[in-house]
Amino acid sequence: MEKESRPSWEQPAQFVLACVSYAVGLGNVWRFPYLCQMHGGGGFLIPYLIMLVLEGVPLFYMELAVGQKMRLGSIGAWSAISPYLGGVGIASVVASIYLCLYYNVINAWSFWYLFHSFQEVLPWAECPLNSNHTGYLDECRKATATQYFFYRETLNITSAISDGGGVHVGQALCLLLAWMVVYLCIIRGIASTGKVVYFTATFPYLVLFVYLIRGLTLHGALNGLKYMFTPKLEQLANPTTWINAATQIFYSLGLGFGSLIAFASYNHHNNNFERQAIAVSLINSSTSIFACIVTFSIYGFKATLNYESCLERVKLLLLNTFSLAEDTINVDNITYWITELNKTHPNQFADLLPKLESCDLEAELDTAVEGTGLAFIVYTEAIKNMPLPQLWSVLYFFMLLLLGLGSMLGNVTAVTTPLRDLRFVTHYLSNETTNGLVCLFCLVLGLGFTTRSGNYWLTMFNDYGATFALLLIVLIEIISVCYIYGLEQFAKDIEDMIGHRPNWYWKIVWAIVSPLIIIMLFIFYIINYIMGGTPTYQAWDKDLGQSVTTPYPPYAQAFIILLLVSSIICIPLSALYTYCNRYTDKTDTLPK
Amino acid sequence: MFPRLHFAVCFTAVLGPTLVHTLCPEAVNSSSLIQSLFPGALLNAIMHIFSFRVSDVLVCNETQRVSFWFVVTDPENTSELISGKDVERAVRISRNRINNAFLLTDETLEFLNIPPTLAVPAESGTPPWLIVFGVVIGVVGVGIIALLISSFIQKRRKKGVTEGEEEDCEEEACDKGNGVSHPVEEGADGVNRGFVGDIPFTKL
Repeated sequence: MEKESRPSWEQPAQFVLACVSYAVGLGNVWRFPYLCQMHGGGGFLIPYLIMLVLEGVPLFYMELAVGQKMRLGSIGAWSAISPYLGGVGIASVVASIYLCLYYNVINAWSFWYLFHSFQEVLPWAECPLNSNHTGYLDECRKATATQYFFYRETLNITSAISDGGGVHVGQALCLLLAWMVVYLCIIRGIASTGKVVYFTATFPYLVLFVYLIRGLTLHGALNGLKYMFTPKLEQLANPTTWINAATQIFYSLGLGFGSLIAFASYNHHNNNFERQAIAVSLINSSTSIFACIVTFSIYGFKATLNYESCLERVKLLLLNTFSLAEDTINVDNITYWITELNKTHPNQFADLLPKLESCDLEAELDTAVEGTGLAFIVYTEAIKNMPLPQLWSVLYFFMLLLLGLGSMLGNVTAVTTPLRDLRFVTHYLSNETTNGLVCLFCLVLGLGFTTRSGNYWLTMFNDYGATFALLLIVLIEIISVCYIYGLEQFAKDIEDMIGHRPNWYWKIVWAIVSPLIIIMLFIFYIINYIMGGTPTYQAWDKDLGQSVTTPYPPYAQAFIILLLVSSIICIPLSALYTYCNRYTDKTDTLPK
Repeated sequence: MFPRLHFAVCFTAVLGPTLVHTLCPEAVNSSSLIQSLFPGALLNAIMHIFSFRVSDVLVCNETQRVSFWFVVTDPENTSELISGKDVERAVRISRNRINNAFLLTDETLEFLNIPPTLAVPAESGTPPWLIVFGVVIGVVGVGIIALLISSFIQKRRKKGVTEGEEEDCEEEACDKGNGVSHPVEEGADGVNRGFVGDIPFTKL
């Protein structure tokens, strides 16, 4: 039977767009703006760009080179570098599986919100009524309508991770749909993926651009932008800023999962990946900055709205208490009036003080949020106040969906490519069947995240499933390429592929700078973990209407350790296995 | 929120003519005052709701903002007051009409201690999100099935062609090594992969 030659991208552009689609994901939208805000606005760009040059682009380049040279998925590629390093590939696959399991649940949420946007009144715009219709539900009153919709209607979250709760049927359906869409996109391997990425890589930019225009024209947007871009350069002295910049670059480019190796393995041997690596990394970082601008104009709008309603309430309170005429107080002279009234009617004012809110625009802007909180709570609150909220909601969640889907394609390809490299898999199962089985496996296990406590497990996977393992994986990758495989041999391979050797800059960064940065991140992560004490999570308390920091129960802590160790342990185990195999082989050939 | 118009219902459990005076010492016959405050047509509408006459409504305790207390007397016996609970119930039921009569809303016309009953949003039979979900999952399902079927058909066709090729193998380029004949296989980088499977068996 004829063996098929390795499939390849129809156009080099498909490869570039696949990498862009993979790298540009939800993190660009919901993590980078948060970091920017935390670490001094515009000033954060300095460590970010430095880390991009010293760490991001070189490691990206290296992974593409390995993939394109070896023309195998991560397991095969690292086994080819050194037979003892097959475990690195396996660890990558395990990390990818963990990611696949929970990442698609976030896409399921995007679907949920997207479908709920097709209503006249957005369901997160108003609180639902209580049983005798005299007011709003307690939980919703104490929290906000958007928080209530996320925690109660979308997740139906329990109050602790130990409280299992049943499966949320709506979520399960959306997860099923999400996996069906992923399957549809990868059904024939990169023949399908290559066509899909034309859309998933480009459409989000269109939406971001539309949102940029919308955001900039919103009232109060400039407040947000001013806040963001005012650099607080003293933050640069804080080592956490540099660590966070390095970490963000590292995870944002999706290094270590094996997806880049998988994508590159389908390349033509002489594809010029050097230019592509630089291009994709730059596109990824620019997208983060672009998304930051959009996010901050929307932040500014929301903060200004809250600030102005606060002022309205204070004005009304003053008017009613002191029986003043309607037009005497307005937004401009309200502070003057407060001091005046304090002087002229000190007793009455003192009685009023507990009810008087202090309205502060800076405080509103300071509420830095990241992650799902930003995407599903803060953004939705801003959207519901825009004119034509349904349209903006649909656009926004469709964009989130495409960003998430693009990253999923990379992650699933990182799992299916090494599988397809195994000869017995290719022999017995067709491409469609392998991909289908992987999707089905991830769907079934992923249903665990659609239970009522699923969000807590998801956060655990997100925080511990891949973060530590990736640092170690990439560290071993770069060290093995430079010192085990040999930098000279690597340079020769690259020359063989693209026609010229990598210049001295790349060599120095690969051999010295990047490993040092990763070791630094690694040490910092371990110190943080040890010093952090009992790991905690944010549990939603429905009586208080807010999240409460709760420590993990012991079995959950054990599970965290299992997560951290399970992918990494593959590396030494596999090396040991190969060593034993070789040892028995050697003894077999001894003359008898 | 706007400066509020207060209608405060006096809760009186005890009925009696003296109470009217204690509550409303400067009670005036309402007709002139109320008619000066509200147009006659509106007033008639209110009175119609309560089925009382204007003279049964006594106004007292006016405040600077348009707010007042009122008590309602029994039409048959003007010295008897209608209980607060009954008036409260009537207001609750006819709240919408009262609001419309004054061209006000729940936010601008407040009855103390009678919280407005909020309107229940219209609930459709099938939640709308399920409809959209159904459409999308249907389209995706059809797409998957279509692709699977087309792959299956392609494989069938290919199988037919390769079976024809294997018969040709005996005449054309076939390697006869190890007593097994199979066509020369070339990997993607030009390496003859025909012997890849045999490598573990060759001992040097």
